[in-house]
Amino acid sequence: MSVETAPNQLNVPYLDISDPSFAMQSEELRNAREASWYAKTNYGIAVLRYEEVSKLLKSPKLIQGSAKWPAHNGVHGGLFFDWWTKNLLVLEGEDHHRIRRLLNPAFSPRLIKDLVPRFQALANELIDEFIDSGSCEFIGDFAEPYATRVLTILLGIPESEWPTIARLASTIGLALGVTFKQDLDKVDAAVAELYDYAEDLIKDRQANPGEDFVSRLVLASRDGDKLNDEELRNALVLLIFGGMDTTRNQLGLAMQSFMRNPEQWELLSARPELGAKAVEEVMRINPTVTWVTREAVEDFTYQGLEIAAGTTVHLFTQASGTDPLAFPNPELDLLGEHPAHYGFGGGVHHCLGHFVARADMSEALPLLAGRLGNPHLTGGDEWLPDSGNTGPIRLPIGFTKRI
Amino acid sequence: MSQITVDRKLCDNHGQCAIAAPKVFSMNDEGVLEFEEIFDDALLDEVEEAIDVCPVQAIFVKD
Ligand code: HEM
Ligand code: HEM
Ligand code: SF4
Repeated sequence: MSVETAPNQLNVPYLDISDPSFAMQSEELRNAREASWYAKTNYGIAVLRYEEVSKLLKSPKLIQGSAKWPAHNGVHGGLFFDWWTKNLLVLEGEDHHRIRRLLNPAFSPRLIKDLVPRFQALANELIDEFIDSGSCEFIGDFAEPYATRVLTILLGIPESEWPTIARLASTIGLALGVTFKQDLDKVDAAVAELYDYAEDLIKDRQANPGEDFVSRLVLASRDGDKLNDEELRNALVLLIFGGMDTTRNQLGLAMQSFMRNPEQWELLSARPELGAKAVEEVMRINPTVTWVTREAVEDFTYQGLEIAAGTTVHLFTQASGTDPLAFPNPELDLLGEHPAHYGFGGGVHHCLGHFVARADMSEALPLLAGRLGNPHLTGGDEWLPDSGNTGPIRLPIGFTKRI
Repeated sequence: MSQITVDRKLCDNHGQCAIAAPKVFSMNDEGVLEFEEIFDDALLDEVEEAIDVCPVQAIFVKD
């Protein structure tokens, strides 16, 4: 890889990003970021500073790096493989833009605003279940059912079916883990089941179109072009796959950040209108997507570094969001004025569901702050590794009931 | 004809507007936004979509 031809070789830090104990919020990473805007890794380079992440995320010289993920794991066929190679996340150029244009209207922020009262009702319903006990397992009792039921609301599926959807999405999620190859049969079976689900939903809305989100996707057309049934199905699976674990993990990380900053939790409780700001701040300092992967399409030079075609470039979100060069006061601060974070990625693949995620999390957090005083860890928490997508698997907490 | 402005302090050059309304917005070789301030009303639907999809909501219609 061309990193070998970089000037100042000796000063460039090295990070082992696949070591299970590799930590984003560590002395090692802070030192690396101070020494250099990028680090070498066991797979391509990692970009550590805000300005460079911002620039490279939108560079026309880089494309989605995740396209090669199945092949990288020795997976070259099957249902997941076929779906992955045709989904929006990995498509490029006009193939990507065409699908994105047809999906966009359903994600209009104006339409999503209408769902806010349902998000609030859902959050309160979930909190009601555990509020009197003074403790909960935040992921199982709140983050996961909230994230999944928000998607069922969006897709117009009966909310009672959320456990099935959660199970299928988590199983497909194994495809992003290091054990992908061993889990392949399970993953493919889950894709098949989710396909059936999506196909039924599409048929139903084609027969009885309404004003809802899936009807909008089914009816979407532009310049005489429409999504065909396979494209619709692939898109629905991507929304479930890309919208659930991310939101669940991000809510868990939000709780972690606020437990470390109790005065900010009090502030949010007193001023619920800071909910949207709370989401931005948490995603800046504690993002679930810890890096976005890109690949160089051609040889190019950036800041004196020659990057050869084919080089994998990991753009680090947490490191960039707390870079002292861009954030002189990087701590969580709901009243601070900060540049935008890249927890939703950026450029042409900027998260399509961000208005949904922002709307649902910015309702959930102030409602939680208003009802749970002094949340704290009670032990037994379990965590995903820091590579790729992170967050708590289990997060038992205690609190004092406010209302 | 209609007219738009982009708040350059907000705009983060994501290029989503250029996907939604390629006749009005485009990204140059440096990845920086370029756009037509004045455009034909036939493109109004596209431009409204660009306004909607901009992740940082940086595009505004000028009356
Ligand atoms: C907190 C929650 C979420 C986070 C942190 C998140 C994060 C991201 C990130 C970082 C990307 C870019 C990946 C890349 O460039 O490699 C992305 C893309 C995407 N996200 Fe999200 N996301 C969230 C919620 C959602 C939701 C709720 C949906 C759908 C309902 C969704 C749908 C998508 C889709 C379809 C893409 C691909 C866009 C494209 O390639 O054009 N996401 N997301
Ligand atoms: C030795 C090389 C690599 C190792 C050990 C590695 C390891 C990992 C691990 C442990 C995760 C997190 C999985 C999880 O959260 O369950 C991950 C996520 C991911 N990796 Fe890698 N990875 C490597 C190279 C690559 C390459 C070459 C690509 C793409 C070309 C890639 C794309 C991804 C993607 C798309 C994710 C999901 C997170 C995201 O949205 O960015 N990885 N990787
Ligand atoms: S979509 Fe918004 S942020 Fe992106 S280039 Fe267009 S105006 Fe700028």
